[in-house]
Amino acid sequence: MVSLIGCDNSSLVIDKLCDEARKEDTSVVYFYFDFVARNDQSPVNMLGSLLKQLVSGLEKIPEVVVQGFREQRKGVGGRGLQISGILKMLQTITARRRTFICVDALDECVPAHRVVVLESLKQILQVSPNTRIFITGRPHVGSEVERRLDGAATFILIQPTEDGVVRYLRNRLEGDTTPEVMNSTLEAEIMRSIPETNSETYVETSARERLP
Amino acid sequence: MSQAFSDIHHSFNITNSFNTSPDDKSEILAWLSPLEPWMRHQGIGSQRVDSIGAWLLETREFRRWHGSSTEGGSIHATLFCDGNPGVGKSYLM
Repeated sequence: MVSLIGCDNSSLVIDKLCDEARKEDTSVVYFYFDFVARNDQSPVNMLGSLLKQLVSGLEKIPEVVVQGFREQRKGVGGRGLQISGILKMLQTITARRRTFICVDALDECVPAHRVVVLESLKQILQVSPNTRIFITGRPHVGSEVERRLDGAATFILIQPTEDGVVRYLRNRLEGDTTPEVMNSTLEAEIMRSIPETNSETYVETSARERLP
Repeated sequence: MSQAFSDIHHSFNITNSFNTSPDDKSEILAWLSPLEPWMRHQGIGSQRVDSIGAWLLETREFRRWHGSSTEGGSIHATLFCDGNPGVGKSYLM
């Protein structure tokens, strides 16, 4: 019995993994780095969040977690959680069950935290042959991923396809909230010119739109 | 009115068991992390245009990474999707 948070109407890869998780004893957990939230997204909170999702999907709380929780209660103040403790719990659980860990926008994690996160993921992989990690990020963090994970990563370059751009535009035009200012000439012009523009320009435009 | 009463009654019960059972699941989950990434996840899911990027799932790299034959060490356990800002990486994940 597995319950998964956010498996309905999800993103592409997580959707696919969730399909599988429904059939097998598999967990799918994820994390979105966001530069704006960088102060809250410490390695302890991030890894704790992965662990939290893993535990909440299980029918019974693993002994290693219950034990950690009880020990922490004896202490005074704070949550008493440290990377080493979280890692031990993550390793114990992932060593026993197939687990997919998905991490978005690794480049938005501050560099000092990124080192800790990647090192922790590496240590999970070392004891969990059934764990798979999916990471997205801008190209400049690629070398760091490769180095920190001892070269144990496969790279795929994501570029917009013309078909994808057309479909995206169509979707946005259909959902236009001010259709009265749109006419068929303008629509045809949008559908013709934007996919034609080379992907590099498209990327730059999107990047500028995202800047505050 | 009776709904409100039953809510109060319900929360009283939760509080009660909270005190008597230190291993209450929600208490443990809250201890593990204050973050709730499903909120961002829901936002992405609701905005995604169906099947854009589906080519990724068909690549040899993805299939090998995702495939169940895991032990033996020949397959890379990590798949890193790099791309420039705005290409839709978050929607692919």
